Amino acid sequence: MRFWRVIEPYIGFLLQGFALTIAACLLAIAGAVLLGALTASMRSSGNRLVRGAANAYGDVFRNVPFLVQLFFFFYGLPELGIYIGAFETGVIAMSIAGGAFVSDVILSGILTVDAGVIDAAKVSGLSRVKIFTRVVLPIALRVSVRPMGSVLINLVLTSSILSTITVNELTGAAKIVAATTFKPFEVYAVLLVLYASLTTLLSFAISAVHRRLNRFMTGG
Amino acid sequence: MIVAENVEKRFGDALVLKRVNLRVEPGEVVTILGASGSGKSTLIRCINGLEALTGGRITVDGHDVSTKAGLVAARRASATVFQLFNLYPHMTALGNITLAPIEVLKLPKAEAEARARALLDKVGLGAQADAYPQQLSGGQRQRVGICRALAMQPRYLLLDEVTSALDPEMTGDVLRILAELAADGTTMVFVTHEIEFARHISSRIVFLEQGELIVDLPTAAFFAEDGGLAVPRIRQFLSKMKKD
Amino acid sequence: MRYADFTPYDIVLLLQGLGVTLALFIGTTLIGLTIGLLLAVVHHYRVPGCRPVIVLVTEALKNSPVLVQLFLVFFGIPAFLHIRMTPVEAATLTISLNTAAFAFVVFRSGIESVDRDQIEAAEVFGLGRSQILRLVIAPQAAAFSVGPLVGILVNQLQVTSLISVIGVFDLTKIGNILNLRTLQPFIVWAVIGLIYYLAAKTLAHAGGRIEAALRRSVKWGGI
Ligand SMILES: Nc1ncnc2c1ncn2[C@@H]1O[C@H](COP(=O)(O)OP(=O)(O)OP(=O)(O)O)[C@@H](O)[C@H]1O
Ligand SMILES: [Mg+2]
Repeated sequence: MRFWRVIEPYIGFLLQGFALTIAACLLAIAGAVLLGALTASMRSSGNRLVRGAANAYGDVFRNVPFLVQLFFFFYGLPELGIYIGAFETGVIAMSIAGGAFVSDVILSGILTVDAGVIDAAKVSGLSRVKIFTRVVLPIALRVSVRPMGSVLINLVLTSSILSTITVNELTGAAKIVAATTFKPFEVYAVLLVLYASLTTLLSFAISAVHRRLNRFMTGG
Repeated sequence: MIVAENVEKRFGDALVLKRVNLRVEPGEVVTILGASGSGKSTLIRCINGLEALTGGRITVDGHDVSTKAGLVAARRASATVFQLFNLYPHMTALGNITLAPIEVLKLPKAEAEARARALLDKVGLGAQADAYPQQLSGGQRQRVGICRALAMQPRYLLLDEVTSALDPEMTGDVLRILAELAADGTTMVFVTHEIEFARHISSRIVFLEQGELIVDLPTAAFFAEDGGLAVPRIRQFLSKMKKD
Repeated sequence: MRYADFTPYDIVLLLQGLGVTLALFIGTTLIGLTIGLLLAVVHHYRVPGCRPVIVLVTEALKNSPVLVQLFLVFFGIPAFLHIRMTPVEAATLTISLNTAAFAFVVFRSGIESVDRDQIEAAEVFGLGRSQILRLVIAPQAAAFSVGPLVGILVNQLQVTSLISVIGVFDLTKIGNILNLRTLQPFIVWAVIGLIYYLAAKTLAHAGGRIEAALRRSVKWGGI
């Protein structure tokens, strides 16, 4: 195949880009889950100010394009004297945007937890923190596997946007290869299929995890 | 000792408990009878602090459940078994039983598990330690619920219609366990519609009528013609129960 | 003063950018919804050989980054077919197809959710295929579909920001220009973000009203 011969010298470079994409997504999903869990607990708080702040965060970051958020951080952080690399900026932006969605996922997971089960935990003398971490959150996370998986898949798709701030993740690397080989159609077509296969595989994996974790849960 | 003094509970405009007075001494089995909606569950939920009182006072071994520290101590002293089991769905039977002993009583994991297995053996579920609630029948789940309560070594056991979600044969299994506990001297506050069983194991029976505790008698006196049965409302209630 | 401060003319620039964004959004929405609906109808009537192709293509569009789709259309297709394509053409084509893929899924499940019994009942009354589609399926499928469609469109409005990357002078591109000129990134991107936010909220609000109205009419005018 002619295309293969043209592309072969760049395989290593593309694989590096792929590794960067995976790294960005893993870091971002971790950050998003942390932020999302925190925001979800704030949104179920009794304090109106805390609740309002958490709701505003979710609302803003879900209704502004990620590209705009990314530019805000990429060009804005140095203004504050914070000099971090483009990759780190990208991961932070993805975590913050992802966290807005994850908080929704976790919150609706929390709402599905049976009130009677929480009563049982309360009367057994568990502290509020223990009830949240040992009973409410584990149950909420189990019912949240699927929606959380969609957030992860969206993060994979979103990570391609990091190429606009000079991060040579998979899309950024492909852009360079497309330009140097003069084969943009082939390169981008393959890239599209690669992303689609990756996210499809991910969604199969997510279904498997969901089934495994919810083997013995009601309605699972 | 559990002491309820002039307990009042409102939900919005509805007055669900009206100046209820009740004392439960260690070693007693007190059964609460009453029609549906008379406030039995609410009274139990006030004792274990799941509902806040709107009037009066409840103490468990002297600890006032309406104070933060008092509630912690009161909950140490009592344990509750629920009508719908309320097991933790993400944990095995063993996990359900050991969670609070490990986290609250700070027992070492191995000791908590050894105790839990002993309890499961006692209720005939030795082989089901690693089963999840979804894999158990209703009767088995409720027996796990009882083990979970007993694992906290409570001085008082609060039971709210623990058999009313079960088939008759499973009900038998659970009642047999409760009868054993009563014979061992476990103090119980027991809400049930199983009149015959209540008569068999209770030392005292109280009757709630629309939130008012209208009768509080030793079991024999409650079922005597010149005792509880002399109250028309109770006679009516008991005859209706027999028919069902 | 640094570089060059904001000028009153920047407002005009922002409005122009917003105009381009909205025009492209509305255009691609109309094209995308039409194609999505056509695909759903073709899918519903099991036109031979079409089902797998439709499903494969829409899944690929939904499961790959829009940015890559834009690059494929803007850089790839002209190189491959030796044709010219302007950024606006590439953007219109890409976003329309992308919207179509998401709309297809919504319309398909909208059609499926209309009770089969109703279709059978209509057949008993002697309604023809196209009549069933027009009188029975369409109004209810529309009512079922509006909610999810609004969600998709709010998302697609944000997706349009990506067309700035291939050189369309939309709102985000204006942001880039102002950012470079004024070197005031916080103000520039906050303002751009706010405009997108308001547009998204307006869209969601309008969608909510349409949905409520449709549900009411289906309930009362129900079959
Ligand atoms: N959370 C609540 N909010 C409002 N009203 C409540 C609440 N819980 C209970 N009630 C009301 O309080 C009254 C007593 O309810 P309770 O559950 O204590 O009755 P019960 O004697 O346990 O009845 P049953 O035999 O049916 O279990 C009922 O009228 C009920 O509707
Ligand atoms: Mg009750």
